[in-house]
Amino acid sequence: MQLRLFYACTMEKCADQQGTNGRAAAFVGRALRKTYVTGETQVHALRGVDLEIYAGEVLVLLGPSGSGKSTLLNIIGGLDRPTAGELWYGETELTALDDAALTRFRRANIGFVFQFYNLIPSLTAEENVRLVTDISDDPMHPADALDLVGLAERRTHFPAQLSGGEQQRVAVARAIAKRPGVLLCDEPTGALDSQTGIRVLETLAQANRELGTTLILITHNAGIAAMADRVFNFLDGQIASIAVNEKRISASEMAW
Amino acid sequence: MVRALDTKLLRDLWHMRGQALAIALVIGAATATFVMAMGVHHSLTQTRDAYYDRNGYADIFVTMVRAPRSVVEQLAAIDGVAQAEGRIEQFATLEMPGRIAPVRAVINSVGDGGASTLNRLVLLRGRGPVSDKAGEVVIDKAFADANAVHLGDRIDAIIYGSRTRLEVVGIGLAPDYIWSIAPGELVPDASRYGIFWMGEKALEAASNRQGAINAVALKMDRGAKEAEIIRHVDTLTSQYGGTGAIGRKDHLSNAFLQSELDQLEAMTRIIPPIFLLVSTFLVYVVLGRTIRTEREEIGLLKAFGHTSASVGWHYLKFALAIALLGIVLGSAAGWWMGRSMTGQYAEYYRFPFLYYQVSAPVFLAGAALAFGSAAIGAMGGVRKAVTLSPAVAMSPPPPPVYHAGWIERLGEKAGLSAVGNMIVRHIARWPGRSGVTVFGVALSLGLLFSVLQFIDSSRAMLDNYFFRAQRQDISVSFIEPRNEKVLSELASMPGVIRVEQARAVPVMLRSGPRSKRVAIEAASSDDRLTSRVDAQGFEVALPASGLMLSRALADHLGVSVGDRVEVELLGGRQTSTTMPIASTIDELIGTRAYAQSDVLSRLSRDGAPVGSANLLIDHARRDELIGRLADMPMVLGVTERDAAMGLFQRIIDENIMSMMGFYIAFASAIAIGVVYNSARILYSERAHELATLRVLGYHRNEVGIVLLGEVALLVVMAVPVGCVVGYWLARLMVAMFSSDLFRLPFAPERSSYGVATLVVLAATTATAVIVARRVNRLDMVRVLKAHD
Ligand SMILES: Nc1ncnc2c1ncn2[C@@H]1O[C@H](COP(=O)(O)OP(=O)(O)OP(=O)(O)O)[C@@H](O)[C@H]1O
Ligand SMILES: [Mg+2]
Repeated sequence: MQLRLFYACTMEKCADQQGTNGRAAAFVGRALRKTYVTGETQVHALRGVDLEIYAGEVLVLLGPSGSGKSTLLNIIGGLDRPTAGELWYGETELTALDDAALTRFRRANIGFVFQFYNLIPSLTAEENVRLVTDISDDPMHPADALDLVGLAERRTHFPAQLSGGEQQRVAVARAIAKRPGVLLCDEPTGALDSQTGIRVLETLAQANRELGTTLILITHNAGIAAMADRVFNFLDGQIASIAVNEKRISASEMAW
Repeated sequence: MVRALDTKLLRDLWHMRGQALAIALVIGAATATFVMAMGVHHSLTQTRDAYYDRNGYADIFVTMVRAPRSVVEQLAAIDGVAQAEGRIEQFATLEMPGRIAPVRAVINSVGDGGASTLNRLVLLRGRGPVSDKAGEVVIDKAFADANAVHLGDRIDAIIYGSRTRLEVVGIGLAPDYIWSIAPGELVPDASRYGIFWMGEKALEAASNRQGAINAVALKMDRGAKEAEIIRHVDTLTSQYGGTGAIGRKDHLSNAFLQSELDQLEAMTRIIPPIFLLVSTFLVYVVLGRTIRTEREEIGLLKAFGHTSASVGWHYLKFALAIALLGIVLGSAAGWWMGRSMTGQYAEYYRFPFLYYQVSAPVFLAGAALAFGSAAIGAMGGVRKAVTLSPAVAMSPPPPPVYHAGWIERLGEKAGLSAVGNMIVRHIARWPGRSGVTVFGVALSLGLLFSVLQFIDSSRAMLDNYFFRAQRQDISVSFIEPRNEKVLSELASMPGVIRVEQARAVPVMLRSGPRSKRVAIEAASSDDRLTSRVDAQGFEVALPASGLMLSRALADHLGVSVGDRVEVELLGGRQTSTTMPIASTIDELIGTRAYAQSDVLSRLSRDGAPVGSANLLIDHARRDELIGRLADMPMVLGVTERDAAMGLFQRIIDENIMSMMGFYIAFASAIAIGVVYNSARILYSERAHELATLRVLGYHRNEVGIVLLGEVALLVVMAVPVGCVVGYWLARLMVAMFSSDLFRLPFAPERSSYGVATLVVLAATTATAVIVARRVNRLDMVRVLKAHD
């Protein structure tokens, strides 16, 4: 508990120093480590990461391949556990939760978008969204969520009948339909051309703007970093530096 | 090159060991039932044939009222008769200390020391009787065991009205008594009916038949015509009260054994094919799935220069390897089960030796069937592997396409959740595989039901015969047919409330070339204790005139209501007449004929004598009455309904129940094999989707429902199908297990459907839950890193 108070203090201090208008921290992580052991070899995917992520900010994780971005994102989203360290979400210590509680956490707070859209092929666009709204407390109507991503007309189509970009937008609609506190996106535009990618990013930014959703985004595209409030630069399992954008640009102004 | 492929084969098998084992178990069940039934069948047939051969089992049997010994020479002179031997068969009542219910025996005459040319006695212990030494007998082993009678023991017997003290000098068996039942009884009971052998001279004296015999056994020349000889024998013996000669197939001991063998054969024709069919489908589904997932490897193998044939052979070997495992397990289980079954037969049938030996051809045939059905199941997949071109194989398979078909709209209409739609659509997407699961589980249920029906059927037979058709407490049979005076004598005995006569006239019924020897049973309309009950349990009234034939008899003679049959009286009254068939009755037991008492009296002219009587008694005075009956010299047997019923029940319980364990296990093997494979395929196919659901915040049990829900839905669909399959399977089995001697009724209890369903549900639930526990192993992180 004392530790928790300490983190809260440092978090507030950081918030003031970094000029994020005193927003509360959504996540606080301390000394997060992740080590994969495969036979004789050990891979240190995270080597002691300390972080604060503020509620409602847009955060981009940048860094070379294998630097630990996905590992961190998965831990934040409650899909994986760190080997050591603590992670708090508001008042909740995620690293102390059991599987069922972690599932409840994901269900209540997290929306995911991945590079591979991970839609269920046997369900239509709308039904894929319903997968999430079926189990949420205060979801949007699935049709409204599809409307937000501009796919209202395609709601009865199956994934096989949609283009990659459209599928990714369905995935976005699925992620935002439950009005999550946090959106986690791992290379959401990785498989898309730039124009389609920008549409997807716009939708994500819109959710951040209109719903106040904290948006955490992994990308290899430094250009995308321009839409972030802050950028974590990863190197070899650590946050090498944090960049703060005084003025973020909207997704539509980006190009790559 | 081949080496590497074989390594892959072993690794794949190991990787899929659960599924491979589940299929192997189904194949094993097929092999086991096949090896068991064929093994027991061969063992029994060979034992029987060897026994018949070594001990001169006769080909033709004839009994007469009384004939001079000279008739034997006459019979031996018939063209085609190789040997003839006469003997005395004499019934006796035994006085066993401490036994109230009468104990009976049939005493057969034998030569000095137990010698005879036909139906030779096998002495297991002691020695044969000295021909003229009064009272020396050999007794059959089953009777000795059941009553704890030992060599040297003495038994008081009433033979032909006078008390004789018998001394047991030997214990033995004979090929004409492999199975035996006391006359008038329905259920064999070795403790109450003995087979004895006594020296010829001694039995002549005891039965007052000096120089006379009442039975002749004949051995035919090879290739002689049985029917012709029987006709000659009947002509020659009718003057001595011959009741019609019979061949081996009608000789009770042999006929009963034969019907058992026929049942075993029927079993090999019904049960193994069911298992083989299921295993064929399982191989088809599993190999099909394997080849779909290994497209790229197949393409690679071909690109590296493996021929299509060698790739096809590789996958065929995969199926054959699974079959091999099933064959090994099944052969061992079948051998072991057959041994225990043979042990049961050894208690029921009296053989001097019973070699249990499963010959190599049985194992080979079982293996060939299993390999064959696995290979058939593999064909579809192998063909796909052979025809797949390397280029096509290397590109990823087209994603499964779902359309907004009627099933999709159905799900929407029904207001299914998204998860509900996932389940329904997946079933519809793979109709073949879903069908195999439904069909397999249905067969399992059906098989189980049809086995349960056997118990119901036996119970129904018991009920039909003992509760509906026979309501007397006691039936009394007489050593020789009596006149009606005996009825008033019985009526005046203590505790007797009502007496009804039972009369029968032995006849030969003929219609064209077909004939059957039966006894026409008389009944009168004021009979209260017995009635004729059909297979459905309904009482059938006797026609006022003409004959009523059991359906089996009418079918045998090829006649129907309105036809006339030729009725030839047997036993000394050489008359022949024709009678109309007034009705038929669908009976369970035997081939029988009935007529009104007065019709029968007119037919037999001398007045059909009373062969037995049925009594209704006051149970309080039962012991006293039984004691008095046992003392009456003319009484051959006293059968108590309750005791017979109990005995029948015990035989059902022992024989059928002991097989139930096997069948429940085997039927469950089908359900388990089918459900395990279908759930495993489902799991591997959907692992990606299931992990995605977990990522989206679905709990483990909720994800488990997607997996279990589909299996559960298929199993639920299988239940009604299984009940229908079971219904027809049970009918088929009942038809195939019926013989001339008896017919099993199709009379399932409604609860049998329930029990079969519960067992199948239990087996499938347990299996599905085991697979569903894999949900715990879903790796959410890995699934996000790649397509499918
Ligand atoms: N399951 C695993 N087993 C072993 N090592 C792993 C596992 N998952 C990740 N790693 C290793 O951990 C390190 C960090 O991986 P991570 O996926 O977080 O990198 P990343 O920054 O997301 O890279 P990319 O940009 O390529 O997606 C890498 O070296 C990776 O090989
Ligand atoms: Mg990554």
